[in-house]
Amino acid sequence: MKMPMMKQLTAALILCFLLINMACAGMNPQEILIASDAVRNPDFPFGLTNTLIEYRNGKQTESSTLAIYSKADPNGGQFRSLIRYVAPARDANKLILFSGKDMWFFDPSSKASIRLSPQQRLLGQASNGDVVTVNFAKDYQATTTTEEDSTDGERQPRHCYKLGLVATSPDATYHHIEMWVDTSNTRPVKARFYTESNKLLKTAYYRRYQKVFGIERPTETVIIDGLESDWVTVMRYTEWVRREVPEAWLQRDYLPRFKPE
Amino acid sequence: MMSLLWQRRASAVLAYLVALGLWYPSPGLCADPDESALMLADSALAVAENASDLRAFAEGEYAGATQRDSNASSYGRRLSFDVQYDHSFSPVWRAVFADRLDANWPKKGSDQNAINTIKEAYLSWRAQPDTILDLGRINVRNGVAIGYNPTDFFRAGALRSVVSISPASLKENRQGSVMVRFQQLWVGGGMTGMYSPRLSNHPSQDAFNPDWGATNNQERWLISVSQKFTDNINPQFLIYQEGHLPLQFGLNLTALTNDATVVYAEWAGGRSPSLLTQAFQQTAPAIPGDTAFYNRLASGITYTTPNKISLTAELQYNGRGMGKEEWDALRHGPLVVYSLYRSWAQLAQDMPTRKMVFFYATWQDALVNHLDLSAMRSADIVDSSQRSWLEVRYHIGHFDYAVQWQRNSGLRFSNFGAVSQMQSWQASLRYYF
Repeated sequence: MKMPMMKQLTAALILCFLLINMACAGMNPQEILIASDAVRNPDFPFGLTNTLIEYRNGKQTESSTLAIYSKADPNGGQFRSLIRYVAPARDANKLILFSGKDMWFFDPSSKASIRLSPQQRLLGQASNGDVVTVNFAKDYQATTTTEEDSTDGERQPRHCYKLGLVATSPDATYHHIEMWVDTSNTRPVKARFYTESNKLLKTAYYRRYQKVFGIERPTETVIIDGLESDWVTVMRYTEWVRREVPEAWLQRDYLPRFKPE
Repeated sequence: MMSLLWQRRASAVLAYLVALGLWYPSPGLCADPDESALMLADSALAVAENASDLRAFAEGEYAGATQRDSNASSYGRRLSFDVQYDHSFSPVWRAVFADRLDANWPKKGSDQNAINTIKEAYLSWRAQPDTILDLGRINVRNGVAIGYNPTDFFRAGALRSVVSISPASLKENRQGSVMVRFQQLWVGGGMTGMYSPRLSNHPSQDAFNPDWGATNNQERWLISVSQKFTDNINPQFLIYQEGHLPLQFGLNLTALTNDATVVYAEWAGGRSPSLLTQAFQQTAPAIPGDTAFYNRLASGITYTTPNKISLTAELQYNGRGMGKEEWDALRHGPLVVYSLYRSWAQLAQDMPTRKMVFFYATWQDALVNHLDLSAMRSADIVDSSQRSWLEVRYHIGHFDYAVQWQRNSGLRFSNFGAVSQMQSWQASLRYYF
């Protein structure tokens, strides 16, 4: 009795796999990009803890913990993020507000609210654009797609769509991006970020997929600097919570009062 | 041929050992940088630290200075404790407390070694998600400029203990004013109103005196409104009144010109006596004023390079300060009048002369990870005196190691030439708990 049931189960799984592939096969590059964004980011306001560890020449050089709150702009759809430093102790309780290129830093000790340019990185090593929540489909257009085999962050072979993304918004951090997306489930596998002169700035691997808010999402990003390949930043996401905050909180004047928890 | 054979045999042995779990290739041995990075990530122990309501540090300092008049050297020591506590004990109630204790040897400017500064002590009630009321001692700071903040109306009398002339330190280590503060937020903007009553006429240098007389010697109120007009333009408008003086108005404005550059402007203006008349009125309130409309302005630009160097240039203008002729006359006049004016300008944290240029530079991770360099130069356009300041700060783990150097130069009784210490340095060690 078990054999026929096993065969039926196997057939059902194969059918599901084929259906998913057919669905993906029918998607244009931008739709694939949107689908991969949906894997990385929930479509509702949320908070999480981001633990960053930085390595140089194979040795750990810095570690920090950020409490991050993200909410999509109801008009443009791109995320705004409020970030509070939890650790190290010297930076504890400092805050950064990201809303496109409108970025503000607040120091609770000096009560200073300082406008940041995107090039500034007042705290830590990770680029501002790396720690905030981003929907690539809002700032980039996927113009090309090919299929190729690649290796994911767990060193597993994946058959991927290779997307070419071009910045379409002035808020975009990078000029263009190459992104590999698993053809079977639209999971982002890795991405390479470039300047206008086609210089590789960094490579990111999305890994440690775990069930978060009902679907499998990457809970770790490994960033490899394009110029100094021994400069590695590991960002691990934990303590995901669904949280709604008023729109009025996402502005400079509210920064002194923000507490993610 | 033989070399190739040995390489193959060695690779086979290594693969065998890896399969047995007896050996794991070091990241440095991997030719592929991505593979090396992923191996590092595999072994990363990412432990998320818990947020704490308490932030505290202790700092020890040894300092030296060269006196201007005698060229003699002097030395001193300082020990400081700083604590900040911010606790929400319900979804709508929050308590904030911040305090700093500095102990100096020899004594600085008073007859006691210790001086305590209550920076903040207040309760906050969130009546609605976007409506907040605060009551207590609050360190209110306004202004977008780096060096001079004309709209920082509550700065006067707030400094009890000056440990560094860095702009951040001057704003951080000051006592708040007792007040009730109301804030109403809306999408893209907000309004803040505050009322600070008169509590005492007499400032105090006693070590643990709450010093109401320094911050609450006059009735004051302020209303500020911020509104985002575009993604790049988000001005703040302010109206302020102090005692029975006429209203003062303020504006703060910033803008991004490109991904690396922020421009800013901070303006305050209104009818008031000049700074000199204000100084005289501290000892003789009945002195008639020379009330007129005076502007104060700080406007600058900050550019950041890809390798984390930020450069700021700022023009500073204080219409209530002295122009060249008045300043020369004061410098060569009675010393008691000069001292009265300089003391008042220092207390008010205002420029004694009319125009200055300010440069500020920071370099994060300068040459070495965790090594930050900061430099500052103020040049008085009226009397050509200058002040330079440099800090090297290395932070690792819970420790900060810092060395600061400062030099004041200029003619006798000029803005910076009057500072008794021609040159000084400080070495400090800070531990964060």
